[in-house]
Amino acid sequence: MKISELFDRGEFVVTAEVGPPKGFHLEGVIEEAKTYLSGITAVNVTDNQSSVMRMGSLATCKLLKDAGLTPIYQLTCRDRNRIALESDLLSAAAFGIENILCLTGDHTKLGDHPGAKPVFDLDSVSLLHTVRLLESGKDLGGNDLVGEPPKFAAGAVVSPCSDSVDAQLAKMERKVMAGADYFQTQAVFEPDKFIEFMEKAKQFGKPVQLGVIIPKGAAMARYMNNNVAGVHVPDDMLAELAADKERAKAGITGVEIAARVIKACRPYCQGVHIMALGWEKHIPALLEQAGI
Amino acid sequence: MENYTKYRLKDAEELSSVLAGTDKIFVVACNKCFKEFTSVDEPDCEAFVKLAEEQGKTVTGSFKVDFLCNRIQTERKLAGVIPEGTECVFVVSCGLGIQTMAELVKKPVFAASNSLNYTGHHGMALTKKACDACAQCFLNITGGICPVVDCSKSLLNGQCGGAKDGKCEVDPNKDCAWEKIYRKLEQTGRLEEFEKQPVQLRDYNKVNFKVISEYVQSIREKRLDGYYGGVHPSERKEMSEHCPVEVFPESDIMVIPLSQASGKPANPIVQVGDHVKVGQKIGEKAGFISAAVHSSVSGEVIAIEERVHPATRGGLSVVIRNDHKDTLDESVKPKGALEDLSPEDIVKIVEDAGIAGMGGAGFPTSVKLVPGKPIDAVLINACECEPMITADHKLLLGYPDEVIFGLRAVMKAVSSPKGIIVIEDNKPDAIELFKSKCEGLDGIEVVVARTKYPQGAEKMLIKRVLGRMVPSGGLPADVGAVVCNVSTVKAISDAIQLGMPLIERIVSVTGECIKNPGNYLIRFGVSAKDVIEACGGLTCDDVVTKMGGPMMGIPIPNVDVAVIKGTNGIIAYENDHTQEVECIKCGRCADVCPMELEPLYFNRLLKDGNIQGLKDMNINDCMECRCCEYICSSKIPLVTRIKEGKAAVRGLN
Amino acid sequence: MLITELKSKESILSLVTGKVFIINCHGCKEVRFPEAEAEELEKELLASGKVTGVLTTDYICNPENLKLRLERRKTMIAEADAVLVLSCGVGVQSVAEFLPDKKVYAGCDTYRLPGFQGVTPLEVNCDQCGECFLNLTGGICPLTACSKSLVNGQCGGSKNGKCEVDPNMECGWERIYRRLEAVGRLDALKCPVQLRNYATDKDV
Repeated sequence: MKISELFDRGEFVVTAEVGPPKGFHLEGVIEEAKTYLSGITAVNVTDNQSSVMRMGSLATCKLLKDAGLTPIYQLTCRDRNRIALESDLLSAAAFGIENILCLTGDHTKLGDHPGAKPVFDLDSVSLLHTVRLLESGKDLGGNDLVGEPPKFAAGAVVSPCSDSVDAQLAKMERKVMAGADYFQTQAVFEPDKFIEFMEKAKQFGKPVQLGVIIPKGAAMARYMNNNVAGVHVPDDMLAELAADKERAKAGITGVEIAARVIKACRPYCQGVHIMALGWEKHIPALLEQAGI
Repeated sequence: MENYTKYRLKDAEELSSVLAGTDKIFVVACNKCFKEFTSVDEPDCEAFVKLAEEQGKTVTGSFKVDFLCNRIQTERKLAGVIPEGTECVFVVSCGLGIQTMAELVKKPVFAASNSLNYTGHHGMALTKKACDACAQCFLNITGGICPVVDCSKSLLNGQCGGAKDGKCEVDPNKDCAWEKIYRKLEQTGRLEEFEKQPVQLRDYNKVNFKVISEYVQSIREKRLDGYYGGVHPSERKEMSEHCPVEVFPESDIMVIPLSQASGKPANPIVQVGDHVKVGQKIGEKAGFISAAVHSSVSGEVIAIEERVHPATRGGLSVVIRNDHKDTLDESVKPKGALEDLSPEDIVKIVEDAGIAGMGGAGFPTSVKLVPGKPIDAVLINACECEPMITADHKLLLGYPDEVIFGLRAVMKAVSSPKGIIVIEDNKPDAIELFKSKCEGLDGIEVVVARTKYPQGAEKMLIKRVLGRMVPSGGLPADVGAVVCNVSTVKAISDAIQLGMPLIERIVSVTGECIKNPGNYLIRFGVSAKDVIEACGGLTCDDVVTKMGGPMMGIPIPNVDVAVIKGTNGIIAYENDHTQEVECIKCGRCADVCPMELEPLYFNRLLKDGNIQGLKDMNINDCMECRCCEYICSSKIPLVTRIKEGKAAVRGLN
Repeated sequence: MLITELKSKESILSLVTGKVFIINCHGCKEVRFPEAEAEELEKELLASGKVTGVLTTDYICNPENLKLRLERRKTMIAEADAVLVLSCGVGVQSVAEFLPDKKVYAGCDTYRLPGFQGVTPLEVNCDQCGECFLNLTGGICPLTACSKSLVNGQCGGSKNGKCEVDPNMECGWERIYRRLEAVGRLDALKCPVQLRNYATDKDV
């Protein structure tokens, strides 16, 4: 099932993120996904997130699919050149994986193999372009594919609360032009900014999923403010998280905040994307509180 | 030599699409670098202008420039060039030039050319790839053949197995690099060593733009400190800087040239057979720019004759047989307190003492002291930026009070309220001494300048310390400054306080080929040959001997020539055999020229016989500091060419 | 243009086991040469009595002059088991080519000043890609201004306008966006998807 079809039908699409382990035993991940993510539409599988080496996204997608979930295959341009990326897209199609998310990827220097060669032969825009090209039966070398071409719902990302929204919108437009079907956003904590952004992004006519992180505490929120691109937790939320440490630690405060954000933004978006960062267990409560 | 081109015009189709929607365009084209420098003009500019006009575009003008990426020079050259009404600028250049323009021009800037990938072409290896600058040189494991460049796959651990008959799978005309490496290792008996090497991995984190940016920033700071250009030759001062100043014995026969300053040689006022005394005037100033000469010993004049001396303008020398009695001339007596002397008195004393600039140029100091313009700062050049030489350094340490006295005398002579002693930061002991000596002294200060050659040149010193630019063809007085060498002001102090004219100076005898380097107080007329011998002689026979420093010193192939007023050093160093090769237009000479000239053109235009061109490019502004020749990668004797060029330009007038 | 940095002392000392002849190249010193470190190393080696001779010169990448200079020092070189060259990779290879039977060691690692092919090492801003993108970016090179050399816009990793790799570096694509905005050329961002052509090397 392509999630673009759900958007087309006007459904509010809920997705969540899972990260493959640094190892090949996936049982725990599948178990957790089955337990907490059964209520959602699809799961994003990260691709060596933060440039930290892990089990591959493609194989994880395949195993999740076998376990009955709908995977979204994330591809970054950091580790593979155009040949490998095209090849992996065909592999995904062969496994029946229909949803992909195209990203540029963090720089190698940020991860656990800083001496690795950063590839960036393609980037998010040219990767989207490549996907659409493969779907037309051609590869980037101008050669014909043999047999039926693949078909994907190709997503992209955008940061609505970035410090330079105008540049974000310009890039979003390029992604639309290159063929993005839908967008997931970076985590939002400032509904006003998101709404303002969506007013401007409306023109592109593409569904946007609100990005959500359940904040685990004031320290984590401050860390994100200082280090994570496009994420800003406002002071009042910081105060709320700091007020009752036990409550925050138990996830109660975080879920409340995330649910509030979802409620405020829901009229302006076409779905939510939850980046639980290990707190998958809180997802059902969050969805319930948010009224989804 | 093949031309190694940096950029190529984009194809007509792409240019047409870029041109669409633009009009009233101005074209800036770079004359390319790293190429055989045969013609001044490159055809790309005209080709582009033609194409634009064919598209019906109005071209408001075009401008060709060398080294467009040299932002400082480009900014100056471009001032007022782009006409009113221009809407956009097209640049024919490599990416550096295009970006320089994009920064300088506040109009849309378009690239009309593509920069070509030349990764690996460096140094003189212009037409072949030789180094990929990977930041973790593997040549030690591969017998000096680069696996990163020579192997199509840049493999580090041996061949891929794709080679056929020793040729690369990617290019059948190319030898398999790893087969070459294998043969080389075999030949040098290093195969076993290679086999034991651990597995090699590239560390892409090492090529770190941050590291590079830091380099670039520190270079920028150093390169542009105080004034444009200049170089940092190895100082090599450690050979003599720890040696105390010793008095060098006078010779039995002293040969004193009558031409020791710039301008006319002095007229002899003694005759053969005359007995002369120490400090007695033997040559009279012969014109406005000329300086008197005095006897440095007592004895008998035995000849007045022509003696060849490369550091003088030729002319007569007075030869004196020293009686070793050191009888002082009656004229040598203190001239009174500074407070009692008028500016005119000071100028007269300096003139009578035959004082001329002791930094090397030898301009008569008394002339400098009548600037004819208001002066607000006297700069004492105590930089001693010449490599090797330590004479001024020793003088600073030995005679601080005399230096300060001399400075006061100059300030009084030119009515300057301020005196500044400029010392380079490689002489911390002198800086400390002078800072404490000058503390509380009215109007006198010490400025510490970061070492850079030719800091001691008047115009550079003024720019560095006062931030003023002496106009082309102008003098320091035009910007309210007088510059004196530190040894010169010490001589002024001696002339006033002791009444002793200029008859001796401190000389550094140094260089890798001098057996026992040292600093000596030497009377004028002593032969450099005797000095070198007293220092243990030369350590090898293939040497360069110079009077002065390695940069601006004058070669003395025959060392039997007299020490004179401008002799701050007698140096000998190993001959670095080179031969001139063609100019590759690397542009370094333009990058280091402190006068902001383009020395490469002086060589080119002289070859072409274009003397007017030499004049137009301000060859006369050149002060022959030798930075260009020092940096020249083709080893072109640029200063010699410039001297020829200047002579030719004089012929024009 | 290349810049050099001395290899670690351990790695150099492990190479210099026998007698050694040292060559220093000061040709690109005005750009960068680790002069002080090289001198210190030289002193140490001299003190150990391993050095048969030292040649401090410039532009050893100039083969004619290198030949002249090395020939004059034949004996010293012959006495040495290895020649240690403190220069960029071009220089080491020139020496290795001239002394085919000698062990020639590199004492330095070589870094590129990306984009510096002109005369003033003041800016690091052209990667000689052979397919100039400056027309689309308002004259700021996306290959050198962006850590990832992206050609279709920013990666989204910047924080407060600073690059995710180095917080002291401005995001190249934000700079490009601002420049385009300032010169009224934001429409340049509507250009077709850009793809790098890594085959351009062959055209040179």
